[in-house]
Amino acid sequence: MSWVNAIIQGILLGGLYALFACGLSLMFGVMKVVNLAHGDLAVVAAYIGLGVIAITHVPAVWAFVIVVPVFAVIGYVLQRTLLQAALDRGVLTTLLVTFGLSVVIENGLQQFFSANSHSINIGSLVSDSFSIGSQITIAYLDLVILVVAVVVLLGLQYFLSASASGRLIRAVADDPEAAQISGVSYRHVFGIAAAIAFGTVALAGLAFGMYSQFDPTIGTDQLLLFAFEAVVIGGLGSLWGTLAGGILLGVAQQIGAQIGAQYELLAGQLFFLAVLVLRPQGITSRKETA
Amino acid sequence: MPEPAGPDLLRLDGVCKSFGKVVVADRLSLTVGAGDLVGIVGPNGAGKSSLFGLIAGDLRPSAGQIVFAGRPVTRLDATARCRMGIGRTFQVPRPFGGMTVLENVLVAVQQGAGLRRRPSYAAAAAVLDRTGLLGDANIPAERLGLLSRKRLEVARALATGPDLLLLDEVAGGLTDPEVAELVTIVRGISAQGVAVVWIEHVLHALTATVHRLLCLAGGTFIGDGAPAEVLALPEVREVFLGTEVTASLHQAGPRLADGQDREDR
Repeated sequence: MSWVNAIIQGILLGGLYALFACGLSLMFGVMKVVNLAHGDLAVVAAYIGLGVIAITHVPAVWAFVIVVPVFAVIGYVLQRTLLQAALDRGVLTTLLVTFGLSVVIENGLQQFFSANSHSINIGSLVSDSFSIGSQITIAYLDLVILVVAVVVLLGLQYFLSASASGRLIRAVADDPEAAQISGVSYRHVFGIAAAIAFGTVALAGLAFGMYSQFDPTIGTDQLLLFAFEAVVIGGLGSLWGTLAGGILLGVAQQIGAQIGAQYELLAGQLFFLAVLVLRPQGITSRKETA
Repeated sequence: MPEPAGPDLLRLDGVCKSFGKVVVADRLSLTVGAGDLVGIVGPNGAGKSSLFGLIAGDLRPSAGQIVFAGRPVTRLDATARCRMGIGRTFQVPRPFGGMTVLENVLVAVQQGAGLRRRPSYAAAAAVLDRTGLLGDANIPAERLGLLSRKRLEVARALATGPDLLLLDEVAGGLTDPEVAELVTIVRGISAQGVAVVWIEHVLHALTATVHRLLCLAGGTFIGDGAPAEVLALPEVREVFLGTEVTASLHQAGPRLADGQDREDR
Protein backbone atom coordinates (compact mmCIF):
# COMPACT_ATOMS: atom_id res chain seq x y z
CA MET A 1 0.00 0.00 0.00
CA SER A 2 2.86 2.39 0.69
CA TRP A 3 3.83 2.16 -2.97
CA VAL A 4 0.32 3.05 -4.03
CA ASN A 5 0.52 5.97 -1.64
CA ALA A 6 3.84 7.05 -3.16
CA ILE A 7 2.31 7.07 -6.62
CA ILE A 8 -0.73 9.01 -5.45
CA GLN A 9 1.44 11.57 -3.67
CA GLY A 10 3.56 11.79 -6.81
CA ILE A 11 0.53 12.52 -8.96
CA LEU A 12 -0.57 15.23 -6.52
CA LEU A 13 2.90 16.78 -6.49
CA GLY A 14 3.04 16.52 -10.27
CA GLY A 15 0.05 18.81 -10.52
CA LEU A 16 2.13 21.59 -9.00
CA TYR A 17 5.05 20.86 -11.31
CA ALA A 18 2.76 20.90 -14.31
CA LEU A 19 1.34 24.24 -13.23
CA PHE A 20 4.88 25.62 -13.03
CA ALA A 21 5.84 24.15 -16.36
CA CYS A 22 2.75 25.43 -18.19
CA GLY A 23 4.02 28.98 -18.71
CA LEU A 24 7.49 27.78 -19.61
CA SER A 25 6.04 25.42 -22.19
CA LEU A 26 3.85 28.16 -23.66
CA MET A 27 6.65 30.75 -23.88
CA PHE A 28 8.93 28.26 -25.57
CA GLY A 29 6.26 26.81 -27.82
CA VAL A 30 5.02 30.17 -29.11
CA MET A 31 7.89 32.66 -28.89
CA LYS A 32 10.80 30.17 -28.72
CA VAL A 33 11.84 32.05 -25.59
CA VAL A 34 13.49 29.92 -22.94
CA ASN A 35 12.58 31.95 -19.91
CA LEU A 36 15.32 31.44 -17.33
CA ALA A 37 13.55 33.87 -14.99
CA HIS A 38 10.47 31.65 -14.93
CA GLY A 39 11.03 30.21 -11.46
CA ASP A 40 11.92 33.61 -10.01
CA LEU A 41 8.76 35.12 -11.42
CA ALA A 42 6.76 32.46 -9.61
CA VAL A 43 8.52 33.40 -6.37
CA VAL A 44 7.81 37.09 -7.01
CA ALA A 45 4.13 36.19 -7.35
CA ALA A 46 4.28 34.39 -4.01
CA TYR A 47 5.88 37.42 -2.33
CA ILE A 48 3.37 39.80 -3.86
CA GLY A 49 0.59 37.51 -2.66
CA LEU A 50 2.14 37.60 0.80
CA GLY A 51 2.26 41.39 0.66
CA VAL A 52 -1.31 41.74 -0.60
CA ILE A 53 -2.61 39.56 2.21
CA ALA A 54 -0.51 41.34 4.84
CA ILE A 55 -1.64 44.80 3.75
CA THR A 56 -5.30 44.25 2.92
CA HIS A 57 -6.04 41.33 5.28
CA VAL A 58 -8.18 39.70 2.59
CA PRO A 59 -8.53 35.91 2.64
CA ALA A 60 -5.70 34.12 0.81
CA VAL A 61 -7.94 33.21 -2.12
CA TRP A 62 -8.24 36.88 -3.01
CA ALA A 63 -4.53 37.01 -3.63
CA PHE A 64 -5.20 35.01 -6.81
CA VAL A 65 -7.82 37.46 -8.01
CA ILE A 66 -5.36 40.34 -7.63
CA VAL A 67 -1.98 38.84 -8.46
CA VAL A 68 -2.86 36.71 -11.52
CA PRO A 69 -4.27 39.59 -13.62
CA VAL A 70 -1.43 41.88 -12.54
CA PHE A 71 1.05 39.28 -13.71
CA ALA A 72 -0.76 38.88 -17.00
CA VAL A 73 -0.38 42.61 -17.63
CA ILE A 74 3.29 42.48 -16.60
CA GLY A 75 3.75 39.56 -19.02
CA TYR A 76 2.23 41.47 -21.93
CA VAL A 77 4.28 44.59 -21.27
CA LEU A 78 7.52 42.69 -20.71
CA GLN A 79 7.01 40.73 -23.95
CA ARG A 80 6.26 43.83 -26.00
CA THR A 81 9.32 45.65 -24.65
CA LEU A 82 12.28 43.75 -23.21
CA LEU A 83 11.63 40.25 -24.56
CA GLN A 84 10.64 41.40 -28.06
CA ALA A 85 13.74 43.59 -28.23
CA ALA A 86 15.79 40.54 -27.26
CA LEU A 87 13.98 38.33 -29.80
CA ASP A 88 14.69 40.86 -32.56
CA ARG A 89 18.37 40.35 -31.83
CA GLY A 90 18.21 36.56 -31.90
CA VAL A 91 17.05 33.66 -29.78
CA LEU A 92 20.33 33.46 -27.86
CA THR A 93 19.84 37.02 -26.68
CA THR A 94 16.62 36.00 -24.96
CA LEU A 95 18.60 33.49 -22.90
CA LEU A 96 20.98 36.21 -21.75
CA VAL A 97 18.19 38.68 -21.05
CA THR A 98 16.04 36.25 -19.05
CA PHE A 99 19.13 35.07 -17.17
CA GLY A 100 19.86 38.69 -16.31
CA LEU A 101 16.26 39.17 -15.28
CA SER A 102 16.58 36.15 -13.01
CA VAL A 103 19.66 37.61 -11.28
CA VAL A 104 17.99 40.99 -10.86
CA ILE A 105 14.84 39.45 -9.40
CA GLU A 106 16.68 37.21 -6.93
CA ASN A 107 18.82 40.04 -5.63
CA GLY A 108 15.88 42.41 -5.53
CA LEU A 109 13.89 39.91 -3.46
CA GLN A 110 16.77 39.43 -1.04
CA GLN A 111 17.06 43.20 -0.69
CA PHE A 112 13.38 43.74 0.04
CA PHE A 113 12.32 40.57 1.82
CA SER A 114 15.65 39.24 3.25
CA ALA A 115 16.84 35.70 2.65
CA ASN A 116 14.45 34.28 5.25
CA SER A 117 11.80 31.77 4.31
CA HIS A 118 8.17 32.77 4.17
CA SER A 119 4.91 31.07 3.43
CA ILE A 120 1.40 32.23 2.66
CA ASN A 121 -0.83 31.50 5.63
CA ILE A 122 -3.99 29.66 4.64
CA GLY A 123 -4.87 28.49 8.15
CA SER A 124 -5.76 24.88 8.71
CA LEU A 125 -6.25 24.08 5.01
CA VAL A 126 -2.51 23.52 4.70
CA SER A 127 -2.71 20.43 6.89
CA ASP A 128 -6.32 19.28 6.44
CA SER A 129 -6.59 15.92 4.76
CA PHE A 130 -8.70 12.86 4.36
CA SER A 131 -7.69 9.23 4.46
CA ILE A 132 -8.39 6.29 2.22
CA GLY A 133 -7.71 3.11 4.12
CA SER A 134 -4.98 3.19 6.69
CA GLN A 135 -2.00 4.24 4.62
CA ILE A 136 -3.21 6.73 2.04
CA THR A 137 -3.70 10.29 3.19
CA ILE A 138 -4.59 13.01 0.75
CA ALA A 139 -4.20 16.67 1.67
CA TYR A 140 -7.02 18.89 0.45
CA LEU A 141 -4.56 21.56 -0.66
CA ASP A 142 -2.60 19.08 -2.80
CA LEU A 143 -5.81 17.84 -4.37
CA VAL A 144 -7.00 21.38 -5.08
CA ILE A 145 -3.68 22.23 -6.73
CA LEU A 146 -3.85 19.11 -8.91
CA VAL A 147 -7.40 19.89 -9.98
CA VAL A 148 -6.44 23.48 -10.77
CA ALA A 149 -3.45 22.27 -12.79
CA VAL A 150 -5.54 19.83 -14.81
CA VAL A 151 -8.25 22.42 -15.45
CA VAL A 152 -5.72 25.12 -16.42
CA LEU A 153 -3.61 22.97 -18.74
CA LEU A 154 -6.47 21.17 -20.43
CA GLY A 155 -8.42 24.43 -20.60
CA LEU A 156 -5.51 26.16 -22.30
CA GLN A 157 -5.05 23.26 -24.68
CA TYR A 158 -8.71 23.52 -25.62
CA PHE A 159 -8.45 27.32 -25.95
CA LEU A 160 -5.49 26.94 -28.31
CA SER A 161 -7.12 24.33 -30.50
CA ALA A 162 -10.70 25.57 -30.60
CA SER A 163 -10.86 29.37 -30.29
CA ALA A 164 -10.09 32.06 -32.86
CA SER A 165 -7.52 33.65 -30.53
CA GLY A 166 -5.93 30.26 -29.92
CA ARG A 167 -5.69 29.78 -33.67
CA LEU A 168 -3.75 33.04 -33.94
CA ILE A 169 -1.35 31.87 -31.24
CA ARG A 170 -0.80 28.62 -33.15
CA ALA A 171 -0.26 30.59 -36.37
CA VAL A 172 2.44 32.89 -34.95
CA ALA A 173 4.05 29.94 -33.16
CA ASP A 174 4.33 28.17 -36.51
CA ASP A 175 5.56 31.03 -38.71
CA PRO A 176 5.49 34.69 -37.60
CA GLU A 177 6.29 35.99 -41.11
CA ALA A 178 3.54 33.98 -42.75
CA ALA A 179 1.24 35.23 -40.00
CA GLN A 180 2.16 38.81 -40.90
CA ILE A 181 1.18 38.39 -44.53
CA SER A 182 -2.13 37.04 -43.26
CA GLY A 183 -2.61 40.33 -41.42
CA VAL A 184 -1.68 39.05 -37.97
CA SER A 185 0.28 41.38 -35.70
CA TYR A 186 2.55 38.71 -34.30
CA ARG A 187 4.05 41.01 -31.68
CA HIS A 188 0.62 41.57 -30.17
CA VAL A 189 -0.16 37.86 -30.26
CA PHE A 190 3.21 37.14 -28.63
CA GLY A 191 2.18 39.60 -25.93
CA ILE A 192 -1.08 37.75 -25.35
CA ALA A 193 0.71 34.41 -25.13
CA ALA A 194 3.14 35.95 -22.61
CA ALA A 195 0.21 37.34 -20.62
CA ILE A 196 -1.30 33.86 -20.38
CA ALA A 197 2.08 32.35 -19.48
CA PHE A 198 2.69 34.93 -16.75
CA GLY A 199 -0.82 34.41 -15.41
CA THR A 200 -0.11 30.71 -14.98
CA VAL A 201 3.27 31.50 -13.41
CA ALA A 202 1.51 33.65 -10.82
CA LEU A 203 -1.02 30.89 -10.20
CA ALA A 204 1.77 28.36 -9.70
CA GLY A 205 3.80 30.71 -7.51
CA LEU A 206 0.86 31.45 -5.21
CA ALA A 207 -0.04 27.77 -5.00
CA PHE A 208 3.56 26.97 -4.14
CA GLY A 209 3.61 29.74 -1.52
CA MET A 210 0.70 28.05 0.21
CA TYR A 211 2.04 24.56 -0.23
CA SER A 212 5.56 25.16 1.04
CA GLN A 213 8.07 27.63 2.43
CA PHE A 214 9.76 29.84 -0.11
CA ASP A 215 12.78 32.13 -0.18
CA PRO A 216 14.33 34.41 -2.83
CA THR A 217 16.55 31.75 -4.42
CA ILE A 218 14.19 28.78 -4.57
CA GLY A 219 12.84 29.90 -7.96
CA THR A 220 15.98 29.01 -9.85
CA ASP A 221 17.29 26.36 -7.46
CA GLN A 222 14.22 24.15 -7.66
CA LEU A 223 11.16 25.46 -9.46
CA LEU A 224 12.83 26.30 -12.76
CA LEU A 225 14.59 22.95 -12.86
CA PHE A 226 11.44 20.93 -12.17
CA ALA A 227 9.48 22.99 -14.68
CA PHE A 228 12.12 22.39 -17.34
CA GLU A 229 12.14 18.68 -16.63
CA ALA A 230 8.36 18.50 -16.83
CA VAL A 231 8.35 20.30 -20.19
CA VAL A 232 11.09 18.11 -21.66
CA ILE A 233 9.64 14.86 -20.34
CA GLY A 234 6.26 15.73 -21.80
CA GLY A 235 7.57 16.98 -25.12
CA LEU A 236 8.23 20.59 -26.12
CA GLY A 237 5.29 22.70 -27.13
CA SER A 238 2.49 20.40 -26.00
CA LEU A 239 0.43 21.32 -22.95
CA TRP A 240 -1.03 17.81 -22.65
CA GLY A 241 2.55 16.60 -22.60
CA THR A 242 3.54 19.15 -19.99
CA LEU A 243 0.76 17.96 -17.69
CA ALA A 244 1.80 14.35 -18.18
CA GLY A 245 5.47 15.30 -17.77
CA GLY A 246 4.83 17.10 -14.49
CA ILE A 247 2.88 14.18 -13.10
CA LEU A 248 5.46 11.59 -14.20
CA LEU A 249 8.24 13.67 -12.64
CA GLY A 250 6.27 13.89 -9.39
CA VAL A 251 5.65 10.14 -9.38
CA ALA A 252 9.32 9.39 -10.09
CA GLN A 253 10.38 11.60 -7.20
CA GLN A 254 7.92 10.06 -4.78
CA ILE A 255 8.90 6.53 -5.75
CA GLY A 256 12.50 7.52 -5.12
CA ALA A 257 11.51 8.95 -1.76
CA GLN A 258 9.76 5.68 -0.95
CA ILE A 259 13.06 3.85 -1.46
CA GLY A 260 14.88 6.34 0.71
CA ALA A 261 14.44 10.03 1.46
CA GLN A 262 17.80 10.87 -0.10
CA TYR A 263 16.70 9.40 -3.45
CA GLU A 264 13.75 11.73 -4.02
CA LEU A 265 15.53 14.27 -6.23
CA LEU A 266 17.89 11.71 -7.70
CA ALA A 267 15.03 9.54 -8.93
CA GLY A 268 13.43 12.54 -10.62
CA GLN A 269 16.65 13.48 -12.40
CA LEU A 270 17.35 9.88 -13.44
CA PHE A 271 13.90 9.58 -14.92
CA PHE A 272 14.47 12.88 -16.75
CA LEU A 273 17.77 11.64 -18.13
CA ALA A 274 16.22 8.33 -19.15
CA VAL A 275 13.56 10.18 -21.14
CA LEU A 276 16.22 12.36 -22.77
CA VAL A 277 18.16 9.29 -23.86
CA LEU A 278 15.34 6.96 -24.82
CA ARG A 279 12.72 9.38 -26.09
CA PRO A 280 14.24 12.83 -26.61
CA GLN A 281 11.15 14.20 -28.32
CA GLY A 282 9.17 13.63 -25.10
CA ILE A 283 6.63 11.02 -24.18
CA THR A 284 3.62 12.56 -25.88
CA SER A 285 5.21 14.08 -28.99
CA ARG A 286 5.12 12.45 -32.34
CA LYS A 287 8.32 12.17 -34.31
CA GLU A 288 9.63 15.55 -35.37
CA THR A 289 8.33 16.58 -38.76
CA ALA A 290 10.24 19.02 -40.91
CA MET B 1 4.78 51.78 -71.72
CA PRO B 2 1.03 51.02 -71.93
CA GLU B 3 -1.29 53.25 -69.96
CA PRO B 4 -2.26 51.75 -66.59
CA ALA B 5 -5.82 50.50 -66.43
CA GLY B 6 -6.73 52.87 -63.60
CA PRO B 7 -5.27 55.45 -61.21
CA ASP B 8 -1.98 54.51 -59.54
CA LEU B 9 -2.49 51.97 -56.81
CA LEU B 10 1.16 51.38 -56.05
CA ARG B 11 4.11 53.65 -56.66
CA LEU B 12 7.78 53.02 -55.93
CA ASP B 13 10.11 56.02 -56.12
CA GLY B 14 13.85 55.44 -56.21
CA VAL B 15 13.77 52.44 -53.90
CA CYS B 16 17.19 51.05 -52.95
CA LYS B 17 18.14 47.91 -51.06
CA SER B 18 21.36 45.91 -50.77
CA PHE B 19 22.46 42.86 -48.83
CA GLY B 20 26.14 43.49 -48.29
CA LYS B 21 27.58 43.93 -51.76
CA VAL B 22 24.60 42.39 -53.51
CA VAL B 23 22.31 45.10 -54.84
CA VAL B 24 18.72 43.84 -55.08
CA ALA B 25 17.09 47.21 -55.74
CA ASP B 26 18.94 50.07 -57.38
CA ARG B 27 16.76 53.21 -57.48
CA LEU B 28 13.75 51.18 -58.54
CA SER B 29 10.70 53.10 -59.68
CA LEU B 30 7.44 51.48 -60.63
CA THR B 31 3.77 52.29 -60.82
CA VAL B 32 0.94 49.76 -60.83
CA GLY B 33 -2.58 50.92 -61.56
CA ALA B 34 -5.73 49.58 -59.90
CA GLY B 35 -6.76 46.39 -61.65
CA ASP B 36 -3.48 46.03 -63.57
CA LEU B 37 -2.13 42.61 -64.41
CA VAL B 38 1.65 42.85 -64.49
CA GLY B 39 4.28 40.16 -64.94
CA ILE B 40 7.87 40.31 -63.76
CA VAL B 41 10.66 38.18 -65.16
CA GLY B 42 14.37 38.19 -64.57
CA PRO B 43 17.33 35.93 -63.95
CA ASN B 44 17.88 34.30 -60.59
CA GLY B 45 19.20 36.76 -58.05
CA ALA B 46 17.83 39.72 -59.98
CA GLY B 47 15.95 40.89 -56.89
CA LYS B 48 12.45 39.77 -57.82
CA SER B 49 11.45 38.28 -54.50
CA SER B 50 13.22 41.12 -52.69
CA LEU B 51 11.05 43.54 -54.66
CA PHE B 52 7.99 41.81 -53.21
CA GLY B 53 9.58 41.96 -49.78
CA LEU B 54 9.99 45.70 -50.17
CA ILE B 55 6.42 46.21 -51.39
CA ALA B 56 4.87 43.92 -48.77
CA GLY B 57 6.94 45.27 -45.90
CA ASP B 58 9.21 42.33 -45.02
CA LEU B 59 12.20 44.40 -46.13
CA ARG B 60 12.90 48.05 -45.42
CA PRO B 61 14.40 50.07 -48.28
CA SER B 62 17.60 51.97 -47.53
CA ALA B 63 16.35 54.84 -49.67
CA GLY B 64 13.27 55.80 -51.64
CA GLN B 65 9.56 55.83 -51.02
CA ILE B 66 6.67 53.41 -51.46
CA VAL B 67 3.13 54.75 -51.81
CA PHE B 68 0.07 52.50 -51.74
CA ALA B 69 -3.47 53.72 -52.35
CA GLY B 70 -2.28 57.30 -51.98
CA ARG B 71 -0.61 56.74 -48.61
CA PRO B 72 3.12 56.44 -47.94
CA VAL B 73 3.71 52.96 -46.51
CA THR B 74 7.51 52.91 -46.47
CA ARG B 75 7.64 52.84 -42.68
CA LEU B 76 4.72 50.46 -42.10
CA ASP B 77 5.32 46.79 -41.25
CA ALA B 78 4.02 43.80 -43.20
CA THR B 79 0.96 43.40 -40.98
CA ALA B 80 -0.19 46.98 -41.53
CA ARG B 81 0.39 46.79 -45.29
CA CYS B 82 -1.53 43.51 -45.46
CA ARG B 83 -4.47 45.12 -43.70
CA MET B 84 -4.29 48.07 -46.14
CA GLY B 85 -4.78 45.69 -49.05
CA ILE B 86 -1.43 44.26 -50.11
CA GLY B 87 -1.63 40.47 -50.34
CA ARG B 88 1.38 38.31 -51.14
CA THR B 89 2.42 34.72 -51.56
CA PHE B 90 5.77 33.21 -50.70
CA GLN B 91 7.79 31.54 -53.42
CA VAL B 92 8.07 28.41 -51.31
CA PRO B 93 4.61 27.95 -49.77
CA ARG B 94 4.58 28.50 -46.04
CA PRO B 95 1.21 27.27 -44.79
CA PHE B 96 0.57 26.90 -41.06
CA GLY B 97 1.30 23.18 -41.21
CA GLY B 98 -0.54 21.97 -38.14
CA MET B 99 -3.74 23.77 -39.06
CA THR B 100 -6.40 22.70 -41.49
CA VAL B 101 -6.72 24.43 -44.86
CA LEU B 102 -9.83 26.21 -43.61
CA GLU B 103 -8.05 27.44 -40.48
CA ASN B 104 -5.19 28.79 -42.57
CA VAL B 105 -7.62 30.84 -44.61
CA LEU B 106 -9.70 31.84 -41.58
CA VAL B 107 -6.66 33.47 -39.97
CA ALA B 108 -6.20 35.60 -43.08
CA VAL B 109 -9.91 36.44 -43.37
CA GLN B 110 -10.25 37.40 -39.72
CA GLN B 111 -7.00 39.31 -39.35
CA GLY B 112 -6.25 40.56 -42.86
CA ALA B 113 -9.78 41.39 -43.97
CA GLY B 114 -11.12 42.06 -40.46
CA LEU B 115 -14.19 39.82 -40.69
CA ARG B 116 -15.52 37.95 -37.67
CA ARG B 117 -17.62 34.89 -36.90
CA ARG B 118 -20.20 33.85 -39.48
CA PRO B 119 -19.22 36.30 -42.24
CA SER B 120 -15.59 35.22 -41.87
CA TYR B 121 -16.51 31.56 -42.42
CA ALA B 122 -18.58 32.46 -45.47
CA ALA B 123 -15.72 34.51 -46.91
CA ALA B 124 -13.23 31.71 -46.20
CA ALA B 125 -15.48 29.19 -47.93
CA ALA B 126 -15.82 31.50 -50.94
CA VAL B 127 -12.05 31.86 -51.22
CA LEU B 128 -11.54 28.10 -50.94
CA ASP B 129 -14.16 27.59 -53.63
CA ARG B 130 -12.46 30.06 -55.99
CA THR B 131 -9.08 28.41 -55.50
CA GLY B 132 -10.40 24.88 -55.81
CA LEU B 133 -9.61 23.89 -52.23
CA LEU B 134 -13.11 23.48 -50.85
CA GLY B 135 -12.81 19.69 -50.87
CA ASP B 136 -9.61 19.88 -48.82
CA ALA B 137 -10.94 22.37 -46.27
CA ASN B 138 -10.52 20.07 -43.28
CA ILE B 139 -7.21 18.51 -44.22
CA PRO B 140 -4.12 19.60 -42.25
CA ALA B 141 -2.13 21.90 -44.54
CA GLU B 142 1.05 19.88 -44.03
CA ARG B 143 -0.54 16.96 -45.88
CA LEU B 144 -1.24 18.91 -49.07
CA GLY B 145 0.65 18.24 -52.30
CA LEU B 146 2.57 20.97 -54.12
CA LEU B 147 -0.30 22.20 -56.31
CA SER B 148 -2.64 22.46 -53.34
CA ARG B 149 0.03 24.21 -51.29
CA LYS B 150 0.46 26.75 -54.05
CA ARG B 151 -3.30 27.16 -54.22
CA LEU B 152 -3.44 27.61 -50.46
CA GLU B 153 -0.73 30.26 -50.68
CA VAL B 154 -2.90 32.12 -53.20
CA ALA B 155 -6.06 31.47 -51.16
CA ARG B 156 -4.51 32.86 -48.01
CA ALA B 157 -3.35 36.01 -49.79
CA LEU B 158 -6.74 36.39 -51.43
CA ALA B 159 -8.48 35.92 -48.09
CA THR B 160 -6.93 39.11 -46.75
CA GLY B 161 -9.09 41.02 -49.24
CA PRO B 162 -6.27 42.60 -51.24
CA ASP B 163 -6.44 45.41 -53.80
CA LEU B 164 -2.97 44.36 -54.89
CA LEU B 165 -1.92 40.73 -55.05
CA LEU B 166 1.77 39.80 -55.30
CA LEU B 167 2.26 36.29 -56.68
CA ASP B 168 5.76 34.85 -56.35
CA GLU B 169 6.30 31.94 -58.75
CA VAL B 170 3.01 30.24 -58.02
CA ALA B 171 3.38 28.14 -61.18
CA GLY B 172 6.93 26.95 -60.45
CA GLY B 173 7.35 23.19 -60.18
CA LEU B 174 3.85 22.38 -61.42
CA THR B 175 2.84 20.25 -64.38
CA ASP B 176 1.27 21.94 -67.41
CA PRO B 177 -2.33 21.07 -66.57
CA GLU B 178 -1.71 22.34 -63.04
CA VAL B 179 -0.21 25.56 -64.41
CA ALA B 180 -3.28 26.00 -66.59
CA GLU B 181 -5.51 25.66 -63.52
CA LEU B 182 -3.55 28.33 -61.67
CA VAL B 183 -3.67 30.66 -64.66
CA THR B 184 -7.45 30.34 -64.66
CA ILE B 185 -7.53 31.22 -60.97
CA VAL B 186 -5.26 34.25 -61.48
CA ARG B 187 -7.36 35.49 -64.41
CA GLY B 188 -10.47 35.17 -62.27
CA ILE B 189 -8.88 37.21 -59.50
CA SER B 190 -7.78 39.88 -61.96
CA ALA B 191 -11.23 39.97 -63.56
CA GLN B 192 -12.66 41.01 -60.20
CA GLY B 193 -10.59 44.18 -60.21
CA VAL B 194 -7.69 43.07 -58.03
CA ALA B 195 -4.35 44.35 -59.33
CA VAL B 196 -1.93 41.45 -59.75
CA VAL B 197 1.85 41.54 -59.95
CA TRP B 198 3.15 38.13 -60.87
CA ILE B 199 6.77 36.96 -60.74
CA GLU B 200 7.17 33.81 -62.82
CA HIS B 201 9.76 31.67 -64.54
CA VAL B 202 7.12 29.66 -66.38
CA LEU B 203 7.07 32.14 -69.25
CA HIS B 204 4.27 30.76 -71.36
CA ALA B 205 1.90 30.99 -68.43
CA LEU B 206 2.94 34.55 -67.74
CA THR B 207 2.96 35.91 -71.26
CA ALA B 208 -0.43 34.37 -71.96
CA THR B 209 -1.92 36.12 -68.93
CA VAL B 210 -0.42 39.54 -68.28
CA HIS B 211 -0.91 42.80 -70.18
CA ARG B 212 2.39 44.28 -69.16
CA LEU B 213 5.75 42.69 -68.53
CA LEU B 214 8.73 44.01 -66.61
CA CYS B 215 12.20 42.53 -66.72
CA LEU B 216 14.31 42.94 -63.60
CA ALA B 217 18.07 42.40 -63.62
CA GLY B 218 20.72 43.54 -61.19
CA GLY B 219 18.17 45.49 -59.19
CA THR B 220 16.89 47.63 -62.08
CA PHE B 221 14.14 47.29 -64.66
CA ILE B 222 15.61 46.76 -68.09
CA GLY B 223 12.30 46.32 -69.87
CA ASP B 224 8.71 47.47 -69.36
CA GLY B 225 5.89 47.07 -71.86
CA ALA B 226 3.82 44.55 -73.74
CA PRO B 227 5.16 41.01 -73.11
CA ALA B 228 6.23 40.27 -76.66
CA GLU B 229 8.02 43.62 -76.99
CA VAL B 230 9.87 43.25 -73.72
CA LEU B 231 11.03 39.73 -74.47
CA ALA B 232 12.23 40.90 -77.88
CA LEU B 233 14.50 43.59 -76.41
CA PRO B 234 18.15 42.68 -77.00
CA GLU B 235 19.19 43.58 -73.43
CA VAL B 236 16.42 41.39 -72.03
CA ARG B 237 17.41 38.49 -74.23
CA GLU B 238 21.01 38.96 -73.22
CA VAL B 239 20.64 39.01 -69.44
CA PHE B 240 17.66 36.77 -69.12
CA LEU B 241 17.41 33.55 -71.01
CA GLY B 242 19.35 34.22 -74.15
CA THR B 243 17.96 32.50 -77.20
CA GLU B 244 15.47 30.38 -75.27
CA VAL B 245 13.11 33.33 -75.01
CA THR B 246 12.70 33.85 -78.71
CA ALA B 247 12.33 30.14 -79.27
CA SER B 248 9.56 29.96 -76.70
CA LEU B 249 7.76 32.98 -78.07
CA HIS B 250 7.58 31.56 -81.53
CA GLN B 251 6.55 28.09 -80.48
CA ALA B 252 4.72 29.08 -77.31
CA GLY B 253 6.39 25.87 -76.21
CA PRO B 254 4.76 24.40 -73.17
CA ARG B 255 7.78 23.08 -71.33
CA LEU B 256 10.17 25.87 -72.01
CA ALA B 257 10.99 27.14 -68.57
CA ASP B 258 11.62 23.74 -67.10
CA GLY B 259 14.67 23.70 -64.95
CA GLN B 260 14.21 27.33 -63.97
CA ASP B 261 11.41 26.44 -61.66
CA ARG B 262 13.21 25.03 -58.72
CA GLU B 263 15.89 27.66 -58.44
CA ASP B 264 15.88 30.93 -56.55
CA ARG B 265 15.37 29.12 -53.26
